[in-house]
Formats: sequence, C-alpha cells, structure tokens
Amino acid sequence: MILEILSVGLLVSACLALFLDEVIYSVAALSGTFLFTALLYAVNGAVYAAIFQFAVGVGTLAILFLSGEMLSNKSTKKTPPAKTFALIGAGVVLSLPAIFLSISSSSGNYSPVSFGEALWNFNGLDVVLQALVILTVTLGIAIVLYEQRNGGK
Amino acid sequence: MDFVILSIAMLAIGIYGLLTNRQLLKVFISIELIATAATLNFVMLASSAGQGLGQALLILAFSTDTAVSAVILALLVIVTKKYGTSNINEILKTQEKTEVEAET
Repeated sequence: MILEILSVGLLVSACLALFLDEVIYSVAALSGTFLFTALLYAVNGAVYAAIFQFAVGVGTLAILFLSGEMLSNKSTKKTPPAKTFALIGAGVVLSLPAIFLSISSSSGNYSPVSFGEALWNFNGLDVVLQALVILTVTLGIAIVLYEQRNGGK
Repeated sequence: MDFVILSIAMLAIGIYGLLTNRQLLKVFISIELIATAATLNFVMLASSAGQGLGQALLILAFSTDTAVSAVILALLVIVTKKYGTSNINEILKTQEKTEVEAET
C-alpha cells in the first residue's frame, strides 16, 4: 500500500513541479519529487541510494531556490486552483498504470544493511545533517530575497 | 518489470515538460525529472536483483547528474544576464532583433 501512495505522490509532485506558474512553488513541488524518490528507495531496501538521493536532491533544491528567486521575472501571475486540481488529477491518472501493472508485484528489503547501520557505519548521518543545514540556510536566504523583492511588505 | 512503468511515466512527464515549457528554469526542472526517472529505473532493477553493485554505481550516476546540472545552471545564468530574461521566446526575439540591426 505504501508503495502505491509513494508512486502517486511522486507523479503528482512531478506534474506540479513542471506546470505550476510560480517558480518557487515549482521548486517546492520538486522537493516533494526528490523526497518521494528517496522514500521509494528506502522502502525497497536501497538505503544507500536513498541517502544519496536525499543529499543530492537537497543540494539541487538549494541551487534551484536561489536561482529561481534571482533569475525569474517578477510576475503577479498565479496558478488558478482549477489548474492545480487538474495537475493533481493528471498525476493520479498517470500513476494508475504503474500501480495496477507493476508496483504490487514488487517485493523489497533485499539489502542486508539496516537503515541505522548504514547511517552509523558509512557516515551517512553526517551527509544528511549537512544537507539539512544547507537546506535551512537556503530557505532563509530565499525568504530574505523574497521579502526584499516585495519591498518589505 | 517492477517500477519500469512508473519510471516510464515520469520520463514521459519530463520529456513533455522539456518540449512545452518556455522558461529556462522549467527546462532545467524537466531535465532533473528525466535524470530522476533514469536513476529510479536503474536502482529499482538493481535492488530487485538483490545486488549492491547497482547502488554503488548510483553514486556515479548522481555525480554525472550533478555535473550536468552545474553546467546547465551556469549556461542559464549567462543567458539570463545577457538577454535579461529567461523566456526562450523572448530570447529568440531579442536575438532576431540584434541580427536585423547588425545587417542594417
């Protein structure tokens, strides 16, 4: 069941990341895509892959938040709610074949290494914590830039 | 066949976004989605076969993906600073204007 939920979330967030009008919201949706991918890896026993996906995803998001705030044109165009719901519906519909044709036949947990063991023995914890610090700093800078752009309103 | 269809769906979304979006940042996001779809397929097939080698090789895929992202972002910054916009249509219009002015 959890694999189905993750696959739906993955495709819905991918649709939102591509077709939302606001760049910052697109990047936020892309963070959901990376998170769902990492969770999918972890649930299937690919713990190292999940850790690396999380770390690389956070780095990419940091860059995208900054560049999205700096390089995008200042526009007041907002995504209408109907379009957002349509995108969510499209993501759900796209994930249906994956759910009914392949996901349920998957059986995971092939990796003999547990998640805690991987974090402790392979310094994955350091990577994850560094990634969290970088993400926090980036979010702070993005908020400051956003406030400056709006003239402190 | 596990996860192959999910990966194909994500690849299709990425390619559709790559072809239809006019914002350079959205094009970059599309390329990220395509790369994620490729690694998803790769990791899931390796995981289902019970081999750790697939996960080890994933590091190589991630480093390549990061290098590609860095190059694309550098190009994006250069183009945006040069033309003052990140919209592909507006960049093409500006380029055409410049060429016409250079000819006359």
